[in-house]
Amino acid sequence: MKKQFGTRLIAGIAAGATLLTLSACSAGGQDSADGTTTITVSDLPGSDAPEARKIFLDRVAAFEKQHPDITVEPSETIWAADTFQAMLAGGTMPTVMGVPFTEMSGLIERGQVADISDAIDQDSVLGGLNENVQAVAQNAEGQTFGVPVAAYSMSLLYNRELFTAAGLDPDDPPTTWDEVREAAKTIEDKTDAQGFQTMTKDSTGGWILTTQSYSRGSELQALDGDTVTATVDNDATKQALEFYRTLRWDDDTLGSNFLLNWGDVNNAFAAGTVGMYVQGADVWDEVVTNLGMSADAVGIAPLPQSPDGLGTLGGGTVRVINPKATPEQVAAGLDWVEFLDFSKYTDETVAVDDAKATVADGASVGMPVVPVVDTDTYDQYLSWVDAEINVPREHFTAYIDSTTTLPIVPEPSVKAQELYAILDSVVQAVLTQEDASIDDLLAQAQKSAEALTAP
Amino acid sequence: MTSLLDGPTTAATPPDARSASPAKRRSPVTWVRRGGLTTLLFFLPLLFSFGFFAWFPIVRGIVMSVQQTNFVTDPAFVGLDNFAAVLADPVFPTAVGNTVLFTVLALLFGFPVPLLLSVVVAEFRRMRGFASVLAYLPVIIPPVAAVLLWKTFYDPRPDGLFNTVLGWFGAGPLAWLNDGGLALPAIVLQATWAGAGTATIIYIASLMTIRTELYEAAEIDGATVLRRFWHVTLPQLRNVIFVMLLLQLIGTFQIFTEPYIMTGGGPDNRTTSILLLIYRYAFLNGDYGKATALSLMLAIFLALLSIVYFRLTRRWSAS
Repeated sequence: MKKQFGTRLIAGIAAGATLLTLSACSAGGQDSADGTTTITVSDLPGSDAPEARKIFLDRVAAFEKQHPDITVEPSETIWAADTFQAMLAGGTMPTVMGVPFTEMSGLIERGQVADISDAIDQDSVLGGLNENVQAVAQNAEGQTFGVPVAAYSMSLLYNRELFTAAGLDPDDPPTTWDEVREAAKTIEDKTDAQGFQTMTKDSTGGWILTTQSYSRGSELQALDGDTVTATVDNDATKQALEFYRTLRWDDDTLGSNFLLNWGDVNNAFAAGTVGMYVQGADVWDEVVTNLGMSADAVGIAPLPQSPDGLGTLGGGTVRVINPKATPEQVAAGLDWVEFLDFSKYTDETVAVDDAKATVADGASVGMPVVPVVDTDTYDQYLSWVDAEINVPREHFTAYIDSTTTLPIVPEPSVKAQELYAILDSVVQAVLTQEDASIDDLLAQAQKSAEALTAP
Repeated sequence: MTSLLDGPTTAATPPDARSASPAKRRSPVTWVRRGGLTTLLFFLPLLFSFGFFAWFPIVRGIVMSVQQTNFVTDPAFVGLDNFAAVLADPVFPTAVGNTVLFTVLALLFGFPVPLLLSVVVAEFRRMRGFASVLAYLPVIIPPVAAVLLWKTFYDPRPDGLFNTVLGWFGAGPLAWLNDGGLALPAIVLQATWAGAGTATIIYIASLMTIRTELYEAAEIDGATVLRRFWHVTLPQLRNVIFVMLLLQLIGTFQIFTEPYIMTGGGPDNRTTSILLLIYRYAFLNGDYGKATALSLMLAIFLALLSIVYFRLTRRWSAS
């Protein structure tokens, strides 16, 4: 039987605040009287990846040896949108934590991550990161709130085996949305599989619609000085929704389930029942390593572009610092990030050991990514780990080439997740109601989006 | 009828107990001598547990509903802004409408089912225990697993489980959760299946307490099964029915797990409930002010609903 009243909900939400009161505003570490700085760090691999865990713990020991005045306490904490607020409220957020690109704008806006602009040594590796990627961790004023340590861009994932079965060339994937539509029809006609699919719920529908809008020529928020304006009701987004409508109601190449999140689409793709979908290129490990799809079946192509296309949306992991950290902890945290995530670009031994551990744990080395360091440094890293690369990089040559040519457009800067949630409904309406008016839906979404950006 | 109700209540209160104040009856010394300290000692853990884990968070929740907080800097007092923001949210009326519709449908289908099921099971001469276990079985399945199972049943493809069954009769296939008009009723069906077991067991237990003489007398008077149900069973169960109805009303207003897992509130917010909206505010948008404001509004509404409900049903309960 259900528990009593909505008070249960109030109690649940407020429990975080209670813990906050009692936790003495911990930053997950401390500065001791003997001058030692203690930091807690996230993303310690679990015991299901013993080699990676051992490497991580060895790296902690090596770091502490190199920095005798810093103590590192690793934890298996990983980012989850629905636990982060409680973690912050309860004072258990690690000093250094990895969060996805998609969350950065919200965290920055709510002041829930530390401003590290002054703490980054511009002469160090962290000061010379790929500017295109670094932008996701900055606000409109150029202040920096995190260090991107892994990046990818949104791409077109396609099943090479289904392409072959449908008589399409798997080495020549679609480059425009019209070609995607034709390929979807061919797959639908010539195989038992569904031509195309798209995410629609848990804010992913809006995420992909935003990606589509970028590729057709418009962002969803315009920045003018310090003023952000909602621009949801635009031609590019309308074209993207028309594209969905055509595939759903005219071509019938979008299947029958339109309540899909990130995991659902990956499951369907890995099961070989779907020809194509828009997804981050980093999903390789998920569909191949975790879901068991044949590596030879996975094709990754650059995001198709319209003539007016702006580029593609980026994704990845940013290391952020607890906003309650002391200046010493911020400095120690950045030292740790540089040591953990960037040593492999400067130290061949570290690079090779890391790659060997990854392979030993059954994960992938050489996945398609957007380098967070400059191209020369990244190419050098690839040459070091060449013997360990276990993915067929020749299957996504075009994508790899595009990472240096196709611009990466950042997420909407104000309340991106809330904007995506609004757009989820728009996408779902177009896919489940044949008579849905795209103009009306966009006008309504524009109104809601304006409320988000209102001062 | 009201005077009948009030009469015994007044008469049942001893006159001396009403007139004597606690101060006159016992001084602090006599209180200690009579074991008051020991009582207090035993009471403290309870007071601490409830105070710390229930009352204090509730009070904090109320305070947070008039604050804006990010859990980093000091919260700012914003008056009723959070309440205004919730009321201005275009999804809010949709969520309220969905929740009310869910409640109505759940009561319409979910309330009579366990009642009738319990009457049928209670009629069993043999294997009543087995039938009770069967009725209760859905409750034993963890809610998340059960919801995921039903989500699979609602597969919109022609070879989905329910669509296959419909196909046998030449009907369907239906889009189920992907159809804005069907999604909410589909969730009601699952929730009724999942919740009927507990109510059935409680009704069966109550039915066992009804004196058989009443049924025998009714049978001698020539009452049919339906008349016996209407004139004997229902009146004898009325107090249990009142409580169960109220609990179900409160429970259905707090529907969350089913839409959260099955549809995420879609399609096009057609299954977004009030609690799902609260969840989004708090845990996805990080806006605890709006989340606690809406929680408080829901709690106040349910409290008022309970009071009205008790007032409306008091007459029948007492008769």
